[in-house]
Amino acid sequence: MVNLTIDGKKVQIEEGKTILQAAAKCEIKIPTLCYHPVVEAYGACRVCMVEVTVRGKTDLVTACNTKVQEGLDVQTGSERVLKARRLNVEMLMARAPAAEPVQELAKALGIEKTRFEIKDPQEKCILCGLCVRACETIVGASAISFIERGTERKVMPPFGEPSEACIGCTACAYFCPTGAITYEDKYGRKVIHTELHLGPTTAIRVPIRQAVPMVPLIDTEACIHFKTGECKVCTKVCDREAINHDMQDETLEVEVGTIILASGFKPFDAKRIPAYGYGHFPNVITALEFERLVNASGPTGGKIKLADGTEPKAVGIIHCVGSRDENYNEYCSRVCCMYSLKFAHLIKEKTSADVYDFYIDMRCFGKGYEEFYHRLLHEGTKFIRGRVSDITDMAMTQREEGKLIIRVEDTLLGTVRRIPVDMVILATGLEPSIDHNQLAKIFNISCSQDTFFLERHPKLAPVSTFSDGIYLAGACQAPRDIPDTVAQAGGAAAEALALADKGTFALEPVTAEIDEDLCAGCQLCVNLCPFTAITYDKEKGISVVNDALCKGCGTCVAACPSGASHQKHFRDSQIFAEIEGIFVV
Amino acid sequence: MAEMAKEKAYRIHLMVCAGTGCVSNNAFGIKAALEREVKKQGLENEVLIVTTGCNGFCERGPLLVVQPGSIFYQQLTEKDIPHLVEEHFLKGRPVKKLMYTPPKEKTPVPVLSDIDFFKKQVLIALRNRGLIDPEKIDEYIARDGYKAVAKALTEMAPEQVITEIANSGLRGRGGAGFPTGLKWQMVRNAPASNGSLKYLICNGDEGDPGAFMDRSILEADPHSVIEGMVIGARAVGASEGFVYVRNEYPLAIKRMNIAIEQARDYGLLGNNILGTGFDFDIKIVRGAGAFVCGEETALIASVEGRLGEPRTRPPYPAQSGLWEKPTLINNVETWANVPIIIDRGAKWYASIGTLTSKGTKVFSLVGKINNTGLVEVPMGIALREIIYDIGGGIPGGKEFKAVQTGGPSGGCIPKEQLDLPIDYESLTAAGSMMGSGGMVVMDEDTCMVDVARYFLTFTKDESCGKCTPCREGTKAMLDIITRITEGKGTEEDLTLLEDMAHAVKDSSLCGLGKTAPNPVLTTLRYFRNEYEAHIRDRKCPAHVCRQLNVYTIDENRCLTVGKGCDLCRRNCASDAIRGAKNEAHRIVQEKCIKCGVCYDVCNFGAVKVD
Repeated sequence: MVNLTIDGKKVQIEEGKTILQAAAKCEIKIPTLCYHPVVEAYGACRVCMVEVTVRGKTDLVTACNTKVQEGLDVQTGSERVLKARRLNVEMLMARAPAAEPVQELAKALGIEKTRFEIKDPQEKCILCGLCVRACETIVGASAISFIERGTERKVMPPFGEPSEACIGCTACAYFCPTGAITYEDKYGRKVIHTELHLGPTTAIRVPIRQAVPMVPLIDTEACIHFKTGECKVCTKVCDREAINHDMQDETLEVEVGTIILASGFKPFDAKRIPAYGYGHFPNVITALEFERLVNASGPTGGKIKLADGTEPKAVGIIHCVGSRDENYNEYCSRVCCMYSLKFAHLIKEKTSADVYDFYIDMRCFGKGYEEFYHRLLHEGTKFIRGRVSDITDMAMTQREEGKLIIRVEDTLLGTVRRIPVDMVILATGLEPSIDHNQLAKIFNISCSQDTFFLERHPKLAPVSTFSDGIYLAGACQAPRDIPDTVAQAGGAAAEALALADKGTFALEPVTAEIDEDLCAGCQLCVNLCPFTAITYDKEKGISVVNDALCKGCGTCVAACPSGASHQKHFRDSQIFAEIEGIFVV
Repeated sequence: MAEMAKEKAYRIHLMVCAGTGCVSNNAFGIKAALEREVKKQGLENEVLIVTTGCNGFCERGPLLVVQPGSIFYQQLTEKDIPHLVEEHFLKGRPVKKLMYTPPKEKTPVPVLSDIDFFKKQVLIALRNRGLIDPEKIDEYIARDGYKAVAKALTEMAPEQVITEIANSGLRGRGGAGFPTGLKWQMVRNAPASNGSLKYLICNGDEGDPGAFMDRSILEADPHSVIEGMVIGARAVGASEGFVYVRNEYPLAIKRMNIAIEQARDYGLLGNNILGTGFDFDIKIVRGAGAFVCGEETALIASVEGRLGEPRTRPPYPAQSGLWEKPTLINNVETWANVPIIIDRGAKWYASIGTLTSKGTKVFSLVGKINNTGLVEVPMGIALREIIYDIGGGIPGGKEFKAVQTGGPSGGCIPKEQLDLPIDYESLTAAGSMMGSGGMVVMDEDTCMVDVARYFLTFTKDESCGKCTPCREGTKAMLDIITRITEGKGTEEDLTLLEDMAHAVKDSSLCGLGKTAPNPVLTTLRYFRNEYEAHIRDRKCPAHVCRQLNVYTIDENRCLTVGKGCDLCRRNCASDAIRGAKNEAHRIVQEKCIKCGVCYDVCNFGAVKVD
């Protein structure tokens, strides 16, 4: 540890730290321009100059890259310091009149106007070199550097032409303290709300606010380190040294006794209904996007806004998008009515917009749901019964100018109506998750007609499957809301625990067996077995039944061409004997 | 060495100076003419023609010194040669009219050592100048060359070498005057991170306008630098060295390359030097001609192939230099001093000079002075002795005004301080500095504001632009001074200029910025009245700042003496002169662009400037 004095305050700090760090420790602010904590200090702007006295020698040094020494006496605001700092800032004002940090610093130092010649009033670059250093040492690309000398100095890629070394990471723009470096996005990412772009995020982020576990992850596609091998700025700022760039994906094999499948759902892709214009009209958004928008931790901080940043005056909510529709899914997605009502309520609460709710039937089946619907009726949400045919921006009247027009057959009035709104929320239905079919194969589970996983019995065994020890919970079995999912998951967990606690389970007494002497090894049964209970033994050249998996369905027995497959306790000879017995009587 | 013994003995050696100055004055033509004539007279077995490095008396080139006897011939032309060869070398009668005659005297001085220019000089760094052919290692060895290496490598421990250098009191000749022994000790003590690799650098990036000491040493005696570096490498434990020379010095690079090759052939460089098991080799790095690369950290960046810009010290190169290894970096002249210190001992060296500054210093004496050239003088010598005794005073009977020492970032010393002893401390106290040894003499016709403007233009152009005060400050100061020289300056400008000079000096990153305001500060200190004349009276006392001059014609003189010759009118570019032949002429001030042509062409002194 090193002891020093800054402006009369005694500070103790580890050896190797800079005066700037020591000053920060005792909350003394030293202005900087070319300094950034993760980039190696450069000492070029000379704004952080302080007066130091050590062993009777006084000198002006830059605080950003001068290391602390035992007994150092630092003055951050002496007359000599201020004189030099003021003049340097004043000169930078002339160089880069449009650079805001310089203006602010000048204001703080009491400089109103620069006495030096201003070359370009629009100039923002203060030649601090942060961009150059970041590109070289952090990104590892060295795509830009200084060219020319003295006042002619500027930042440029080689020969002033677009450089192949540039990886387009925009780190230079990020580090630029004055906004002198800008960039344009030529590949037009989808921007939903311009105030804060819902576009690219940082390479390190917590995926969502509600993520479990609530930890950040590194997106290797976006991370500079995985592109150039450099950067690793995150490791420099992480005190806990918790970041490891060398971790690899790995496949774990875990032995378990029971399995609960809770693979969830995916929302219906609204683009499949072109008439609703999702993806074409920026103000047609899905329910999940609205959920994000209205969230207090969302991009607008919970404010409901249109793509141009203004507040909507009328909002339409369309139910049953992709549900109860012969063209897409026939089933009811169960949750859309209630979340749509919630949206209507939130919009009413947060804005003064008119809300139109287009429904086919209002399905408020749960506890307290019907009461909520009635509350909304009183709040003034306009409910229109009928399926929306399409959404268009072709105005037919003055009132429709610049709006999205929802065309709908109002079945209660018996007419076709055109409702102009600013924003449309599509209440997209629920569909089985993307890898649903692979999962079904892996776990040998059947699917019902609606393609969700099939339970063993709709009433008597609603969480079990036909495979013993595998249970279902949540929307993978059928669309359901949160209370239902929680309840079902509790049931599945109890079933799984009951089995795990017992440690054994009773096999079906009637299972198939294959006679080794008769089996010709044709493998017909292997492919036919619906429970993947039969495997082929290559060494012996015969098929073998796994007793634990066999359900005794008899498919293999009926199919075996050489009569090698038998049903235990259900052999032909037994049946014939039974028949004979009948005749005897 | 065996080869040397075989070499023939000659009656006469002709030492033809082949320094850059003489070469550009046709030294090689003179040499060819000598060879031709010698052959014609059948003297080729008696007369040997040798090309040497810079002799120093560049003013009088091309030069020829005849040995034995040190007869000094100067300002030779090819036409002189047949006569010279016949008279002197054949008939033994030295040619008086080709000898040097001091100004104001009538009789020539035949012998080199009797000439004032050489008389007061003490040659240590330039000990072999004009005596050896720099492209022949044998000649260097014959003058006790590489004796010091043998001593340092076989008889002395590295620590002893460092002690010897420290005791000699040698200080860096690059300008700052850091004690060389201390620097060597720092490099030796530096813990070498990963491995024991250390580097050595010879700083030959001489950039001061009008300075050519380093070039002369590299051209005239490259082996002395190599020998110094080998000794240094041994002392600090370095295995590789770099000589950084600017590419504008092709002759120095050529001679250095030859010298390195020869030293390798003789086992004085490379592996197992002199059979002692010590390995050291030297590479030449050519600089692209940026003044700032003379600053050690910028030089190192340049050697590494990066942008030549300085960085904050500490860490010093002695701790973390080239490729972050401890690096010993010394100036050409410092290296050239090393062998002779080891050879003749610290005590002898320390006996020359003053209390704090030991040995000698090479200066390039230029400007308004009779004997332009390279001089090596003991520390402590008075400025007056250099300028009047060695330099021969100011030409044209003009009065001395000031001398600028230390290159573009040095200061101007006025005539009141002519008796100032030359050493690091007193020059710094006078507001100037030793620098690398440039010495620009100015006479009464020099405008000191213009001098400050000239040097600021140089530093502004050469500022790398890294730090704010140097980049913006030199430009802003130059703008103010330019305003003053154009007669647009105000009193506030003067205050601002002074404030800025102090702030730039105080807050710049490297030596360039820290010293760039020196010409401004010293001229303000010693010649403030000239600034005030420019601002208050809108006059340039030396009539250098043309924008302030007013040209008039003395009509009476024009008519009576010049008879209205009309020369001025015919030469006037802006048609500002009225009058016809045989009439008095007159200048229309509104049309005058102050080019001064009329003043220059008038043969009768009728054009006046005020």
